[in-house]
Amino acid sequence: MSNRLPAGYDVLEPFVDQWAVAGTANRARCRDESTPTQREAFFETAKALLPQALALLDAKPLADHDAQERCLMDLLMSFAHVTMAIEIFGDGEARHAQFRQVMRITRSPADA
Amino acid sequence: MNEHSPVFAAPDDQVTWLGTDPVPAKYYFDPDWFELERQAIFMRTWLEVGHVCELPEPGTWIRRELEFANASILIVRGKDGEIRAFYNACTHRGTQLVEEESGKGANFICPYHFWNFGDDGRLIAAPEFNRFSLAKEDCSIPRVSIDTCAGLIYINLDPAPRQSLREFLGDLAEAMESMPVARATTFHEYVYEIDANWKVTYDNFQENYHLRYVHGQTGLSTIHKDNSFGYPDSFTFHGKHRTQQIWSNPEPQIKPVQGFNYALGGKLAAERRLGGPHDRRYLAAFPSFFIIGTPTQHFSHKIMPISALKTRGVFRVYWVGEEASASERYVREYSLAAIRDLHTEDVNIIQRAQKGLLSGAIKQVNFMAMEALCRHFIQQVIGTVQEWQEGQQPAGEQA
Repeated sequence: MSNRLPAGYDVLEPFVDQWAVAGTANRARCRDESTPTQREAFFETAKALLPQALALLDAKPLADHDAQERCLMDLLMSFAHVTMAIEIFGDGEARHAQFRQVMRITRSPADA
Repeated sequence: MNEHSPVFAAPDDQVTWLGTDPVPAKYYFDPDWFELERQAIFMRTWLEVGHVCELPEPGTWIRRELEFANASILIVRGKDGEIRAFYNACTHRGTQLVEEESGKGANFICPYHFWNFGDDGRLIAAPEFNRFSLAKEDCSIPRVSIDTCAGLIYINLDPAPRQSLREFLGDLAEAMESMPVARATTFHEYVYEIDANWKVTYDNFQENYHLRYVHGQTGLSTIHKDNSFGYPDSFTFHGKHRTQQIWSNPEPQIKPVQGFNYALGGKLAAERRLGGPHDRRYLAAFPSFFIIGTPTQHFSHKIMPISALKTRGVFRVYWVGEEASASERYVREYSLAAIRDLHTEDVNIIQRAQKGLLSGAIKQVNFMAMEALCRHFIQQVIGTVQEWQEGQQPAGEQA
């Protein structure tokens, strides 16, 4: 195990390469470029861990997070985008994705 | 026997005074009419162009492009703390001073011949200036009228605006001052450009008649058996401006993670004491700006014409305070993703509406009672153009 995530979150390790992405616009792009299978697998694995992961990360100020905690944070941020794809759009995600390109994300506080 | 008591009553009786006549379709594509709008409205009306949180320190500046005026505008917080606006143009031979979208620096130096301007727009120095027959005090960058309300920065391209910003905004000023935007310190932003007239674009965001069809999934939480279109509770009209009170669905259909996120966002907003009397209010300021009070997803939308058939929209989700925790960072990201997804659905349908009008075969646009804000809007646009035209006629020629 590569220990890229805090202890107890090993189950999310297979999703790090694809979804632990810095930058709001980049995370939105990851969602656009992912397959239904990839989104489904990430969402189904991460959703049960969301409350406890946030509780873990809330225990420290954002600036004090170590590399593993930052990685987990990036995963949760991508999860926010993937949740829209799974819960709201379902089979309609592909059609919606073709129109999202026009809505360019130009600023995000999380990127500062 | 159980009788169903409806939880919603549509406010049709509040808008009968607006009439029911169809609106000539030409207003929504005709380039000659757009030229009148450009001169009568956009060249002489207070326009929202930013927020003071973009200018956090003396010397910080932002650039705004106003294609309808062929103008690039610099908005600068001076060393004295005052916010000023200038044309982004050197008084030597007109060269644009900056290309960057924002920056920080005490001076603006023209890259062409190094004329050097202070943050108050005055010419400080220019190479070989004694070879010009000019006085430095006559070489300041042309100023643009500027003011702020609720943290929002407004400019007016009329060198002598007929009204102050507060007079122009009227009742809306006080309402906006009590919204989170007045205390905002940061924001998300997303921008689009589409092939559509600015009014076709703006109208889409003034009515919920389309909600169940265009936003059947993203707007589901707004729909109820007693309000199957998610219509507003009420409308109010304030001169050229207008508002609606967004209906609160007592039985929203919410997905599991969506519900978790909504609850988390509500909790964090309450901790920041963001709630207020206008939480469910939509304020539409003439000509093409609106803001929604909802503290968990407090967004504004500014629509600017680029030409008769091209428009830029800028959405911002405003936040009070920097992200203080992982939960706050996460829930703000979700809020941004959710509202951007909803607005994405609008862009395609707006362009289709515009394409249908362009043939000229559709002679009139029809608004029903719950599209009252669209009707009020076009009436204000036409009235403003007519008023300006009357003011252009030489004395003695007026009727």
